Parts: sequence; C-alpha cells; structure tokens
Amino acid sequence: MAVEKPVLRDRKTFRFPQGYGDNKIVLLVRDPWWIFAYWEIQKAKEDDIVRKISDSGDEREKSILRVYDVTGVNFNGHNAIAYFDIELNGPASTWYINVTSPDRSWVVDIGILTKKGSFYLLARSNAVHTPRFGMSDVLDAEWAMPEDEYWKMFGLSGGFGVGKGSLEVREMLKKRLEEQITSGAVSSSASFYRKSAARKFWLVVNTELIVYGATEPDARVTVQGKVVELKPDGTFSLRFALPDGEQVIPVEGVSNDGIDCIKITPIVTRKTE
Amino acid sequence: MLKGYLAIVLHAHLPYVRHPEHADFLEEDWLFEAITETYIPFIKILDGFVRDGVDYRLTISLSPTLMSMLMDGHLQGKYLAHLDKLIELSEKEIERTKWDERFNKLANMYHANFIEARHIFKDIYHSNLVNAFKHFQDVGGLEVITCCATHGFLPLMEVERRIAVRAQVKVAADMYEKIFGKRPIGIWLPECGYNPGDDEILKKEGIKYFFVDTHGVLFGTPRPRFGVFSPYLTKHGVAVFGRDTESSKAVWSAVEGYPGDYNYREFYRDIGFDLDHEYIRPYINADGTRVMTGIKYHRITGITNHKEPYIPDNARDTAANQAANFMFNREKQVEHLAGQMGDRMPIIVAPYDAELFGHWWYEGPQWIDFLVRKIRYDQDTIALTTPGEYLKKYKKYQILTPSFSSWGYKGYCEVWLEGSNDWLYRHLHKMVERMVELASAHKNSKGLIQRALNQMARELLLAQSSDWAFIMKTGSHVTYAVERTRAHIENFNELYEDVKNNNLEEEYLKGIEEKNNIFPDIDYSIYSS
Repeated sequence: MAVEKPVLRDRKTFRFPQGYGDNKIVLLVRDPWWIFAYWEIQKAKEDDIVRKISDSGDEREKSILRVYDVTGVNFNGHNAIAYFDIELNGPASTWYINVTSPDRSWVVDIGILTKKGSFYLLARSNAVHTPRFGMSDVLDAEWAMPEDEYWKMFGLSGGFGVGKGSLEVREMLKKRLEEQITSGAVSSSASFYRKSAARKFWLVVNTELIVYGATEPDARVTVQGKVVELKPDGTFSLRFALPDGEQVIPVEGVSNDGIDCIKITPIVTRKTE
Repeated sequence: MLKGYLAIVLHAHLPYVRHPEHADFLEEDWLFEAITETYIPFIKILDGFVRDGVDYRLTISLSPTLMSMLMDGHLQGKYLAHLDKLIELSEKEIERTKWDERFNKLANMYHANFIEARHIFKDIYHSNLVNAFKHFQDVGGLEVITCCATHGFLPLMEVERRIAVRAQVKVAADMYEKIFGKRPIGIWLPECGYNPGDDEILKKEGIKYFFVDTHGVLFGTPRPRFGVFSPYLTKHGVAVFGRDTESSKAVWSAVEGYPGDYNYREFYRDIGFDLDHEYIRPYINADGTRVMTGIKYHRITGITNHKEPYIPDNARDTAANQAANFMFNREKQVEHLAGQMGDRMPIIVAPYDAELFGHWWYEGPQWIDFLVRKIRYDQDTIALTTPGEYLKKYKKYQILTPSFSSWGYKGYCEVWLEGSNDWLYRHLHKMVERMVELASAHKNSKGLIQRALNQMARELLLAQSSDWAFIMKTGSHVTYAVERTRAHIENFNELYEDVKNNNLEEEYLKGIEEKNNIFPDIDYSIYSS
C-alpha cells in the first residue's frame, strides 16, 4: 500500500516583499565620498504627518532627505554641525548620497518639508562614519619618526617608490585602487581581465575527416595499422582532425578465418590557402 | 644574508552550490573545474615539496562553503562522474588528433592529468580533499586558515552588526576546529572587507590575525610606522597584515601581470566551443549549450584573435623565468627597506585568489612550485614565512586601527553596493533582525522549533554570500544568483512566519533542510542577543 504523503499547505508563490511594514531608513557606507540610504515608509505614517501639518495651518511642500554632518557629535536631532537636503521625486526608496568629504559621521532623516519651512520627521537613520582617505595625523610617540620617513614607507607600500609628497601619493593610491588587481572572480562566472584585440571580429576554420566503412561483423579491421572495434553490424567510423599535408590511410580487413584480406588505402590531402 | 620575509597567501573559496535535484547542474562545474585545475595541482606541488624535503611556508584560507562542498558525498560522487567524462573525452581526443602532433601531445597531457587527478582524489584522499590540506598542515609547511562562514561581506552588515558578524566568524571558526582539531589562527576576511570594531569579534573567537588591503593599513590610525611591511595589533590585540602592492601587481595587473604572457595557455579557447557540436555534445551542458570542458589547445599568442597551438615546454620556461623575476624583485624590495625597519625584518604579504592559479592562469601552480624552490635554494636574502610564524619573531608591534576598506575595485564597497545589487541589503538586514528576534524569544527551544530556527540561520548565512552581489554586478550567471538569493529569502521568511504563528510543517521544513544542508552542527543561539 502506498504511504500517503502529508498534504502540505499551499504556499503562495513567493515574491520579494516590496516592504516589511516598517517606517525606517538605513545608511551604508559605500566609500569615503558616498553613502547609500534605503528606506521604507508606510502610507499611513505619511498621511498622519500630512494631517498634522495641515492641522497646524501649514502645507506639505516636498519630501526630502536631510543629511546631517554629525562628526564628533552625539546627535539629538538639533546639534548637527551642518546639514543639506535632497529633494525626493517620485517613488524612490534608495539614494546614493555624495557627502564629498571623507572621515565624517552622517545621519539622514527622511521627512516632509512644509511651505513655511518646517521639517516633519518620518524616520531617522543609523549613524555611519566614512573612512579617511589619507594618512592619519595622529602620531604614536613610541613609534614616531621624521615626516619624510613616513612618506617613504607609504610610497614603498603603495608601490610608487620614494620621495613623493602627500598629495601626489594620495592621487597615486586612488589610481592604484582603480586598477583591477583582484578578481573576486567566481570561477568561470566572471572573466579574467585581459587586454583584448582592437577588433572583436574573428574566424576559425578547421577540418576533420571521417573514415568509415563496413565488413563482416566478425572480421578484423585495422586503420593505419591500428585495430578498429567494429559495431555489431560490422560497420566502423573514425574521426580525425585533418591538418595540412597528405594523409595515407591504409585500411585492411581480414576475414575471421584469416583467409581473405582486402586492403584499401585512401589518400587525402589538405591544403590551406 | 637574510633581510626579510615573504608570505604567499592563497584564498580558496567558492559559493555553496549543490543541487541533488539535478543530475547535471551548470554552476556545480565551478567546483569541479577548481578541483581539477587548482586544488589538485596545488596538492601535487605540496606533495612534491614534502617528497623532495623542500622546507617551504605557504598559507591558504579555505572558506567554509568550499570545505562543506569538498566534504559532501553527493558532490564528491558527481565530481568523479564529471572526471570520468573528461577522461573519456581525452581518450577520444587522443585518437582524433592522431595526425597532428601539436594537438596530440596536448591531448595526451590532459589525459594523463585527468587520470592522475582521479588517483589523487579517489585513492589517496578518499574523495575528501580537505584531508589533503589537513595533512600538509599537520606535517608542517602549510598554514591553513579560515574565512567567514559563507563569505559574507562584513562592511555592509550594518543592522545588528555585532551579532551578524559574530555568526559569520563563529560558524567558520567552529567548523575549522571540528576539522583541524584547533581554533583557526588566522582568518581571510571576505574580499578583505574590514569595518573597524570587527577585530573585537575576531579576538573573542580566538583568531590571532587577519588581512586588509594596502590602504587599510596606510590609512589606519595612528600613522603606521612600517607601512605594510610589518603586522600591527588592533586595539583588541588581533594582528593585522596589509597587502603589498608591488607583488600584487606583478600577478594581477592586466598590463604587466605574469598570467598574460603570450606563451601561456589561452583560457578562452576551449574545445567545448571549438569542436563540432555533434562530437562534443555528450561533454557539454545537458541541454546542448556549449560550455568549457577544460581541454584547451592554444596559447595566448598575442593581442590578436588568432591563436597558435600551446607548447607546454615554452610555457614552463616562462613560468620559471617569471618566478625568478618575482623572487629578484622581492629581494630588491627588502634590500630597499633595510635600514628603514628599526629592530625588525620586513614581511611582504602577497595574497591571491587560489583559483587564479591553475584555473585562470594554467601555469600558476608551476610558478608557485618554481618560486618556492628558488627561494629555498637560489638565494638567501628572503625567506618564506607564514603570518603565524612571523608573529612569533617579535614581542612588540605598533597598535593600529585599520581603516574601513576592501580589496575590491576602488578599495571600498562599490562592487557589492551598486545599481545591480543594492536591493539585496534591505532583505538581508531584515533577515538578521528577524533572526535575532526569534533567537532571543526562543532560547533553548527543542524539536521542530529548534530545527526551524537552525534552518533559518543556514538560509540567512547562505543569502549573505558576497558571491551573489558580485555575480549580479559582473553580469554572467545573474539569473542563478538572483534565484539563489530569492530562494533563501523565501525559505527564511516562510519559516519565520511559521514559527511566529506556531504553524510549522515538518515535511516542508525537512525539504528545505535536505536542500540547503550546509553546517549540520549550526546552533541558532549564536543569533540571540
């Protein structure tokens, strides 16, 4: 008797959820100059804020990201060093923000700016810190040495030799990071970086020769002196890459009793022009 | 006179790809190709060092996903079947190329290599190559280190960072300990991705060192005294090594890199694409799509689309010359540094993707073989070392906080965070948040709930593999990467809802457990806050 499999609940075909019902914004650091924000705001939350705005006798102007420079600050919403706004048009839910100067801390609010210039918060992000692009000014007394010695080590480490000044070395390092000196390749899934020919067009031509025949199934056949295995019906087929030049192909069949012997020798010439 | 050290570090990793539901699955070939072309040739050269009594030092990181695949019975069986097909094809090729000695020699070479690979894989290591790496570590010379559980890119784990990073590190370190009998001494952070503060997590897992790219050290705080030529200690006492630029460029650079030499084998000309479809059909993808077979008959030849036949002896000479050149340049490098290093000798850290050697750069394993032997016998200015060995040489190291960095294009996160893949992170972050929520709410659970939570941890980790974002960016196999991500997110969220609603179905759970069976010992409590 067949064992009955338990019936599984019918699970809807899954799609990436558009959202998870949150009101939040998250920041990621892309590099010293760029941060990335993604967010999700529920319509109810936004409606609620818009209602508040109109209750106060004001009107919605636009949705914005307010980007705060909070370097060295324990941010409370009012003590940022500076901020700038990015206007959101359409249904964006992500944004790459160019913060221009490295080595600073950032928080981003998503919210609504009113006609009278008030800002209403929808969600506040985590704080992130972008890396410094350049050598630290902090010196470690125990390991200190003259300024030019640091630059020398810096140049040797970066593979640009010695005697370069700070600005020059920074530019060179930036250039070096843009050279591809890693693959990160997943086996065949990506191509290994290589200079390719100026023109992409190409053509390859090769020739192969098929030597085939048939005899009594119990006969013994050799091609160029080598025994060939016959199929049950006595046929055989061999395939050869055919290079330029002459190929002499002696084929010999000997009957099972060893009495009959037939030799046929095709000669094939290939010439490429 | 000895003036400095060189540490060659190979990072071996492939994403977890295992599809028992298909007899033939294209992306599983990544593993099979790497076994034949990289891991076995590498094992062969290590075996040669031991046989010839060559005192050597090399470091290799084995990612937990790669080790899991190497230890998986299903994939081992599939690999042998794959190899048998190659042996059969190479036999046919020996016949087919009989009239053209140039190709016939190569067909014989491939045939002999495949037969030998089968012997090494099956007879010597009983289908489990992790045993080989363990063996070479046990007899000395090879330092095996770990990598994060699924090669998750740590700098972008912004939500519940400490817990998310800890899970990637702890699962890896625990797996390493189970296999190698001790905690891993070092770790290769996926893509060299470092976020300041992650060192504390490494410390807690018993890890002694990690690597960052050149600028990770140079832009560290305070100013580094020795550039990348010495390790530093982070605030939490973990050592950090910075990548040397010159030795990286010698291998990687498209302009000056060794692998581009015209004598070397051309990667892109493969008989899977070159030969008549009817003939090659049994050895390519089941649906008839042409794929690479690994049998390649041409050399790079030049910046031209016309390719000449490959001549192994010439390629071998080139590899020997380039190994000599590499060694000479490292000698010059440490001579330049003499007098700059205070009380210590410099270390040059040269890390590469392991799969570059053999798979992409066919002669790469030969190059390593020549390099190691030349360093041992042809000079005495530099010596090979491992990071673990170097750290024992000196008592004091400068304290440094490395900079946020990676070794990806442009040095930061742009490869894994751009238009093609940035949509991933809201889902990955949500999974971590939900994992922490349930792991904290269900401490010490048993039975079905425990199994479901463990499986959720597996799905989360698998979704975090940096490979998916990377593939989406590079543009080939994108459908697979998206589908994999989608499936892990789906499995995770279905189980999340089921646990929340106390509505688990064992049969459904079992199906997922069997499909994504990595990390059998995982304990979801790593995610509880």
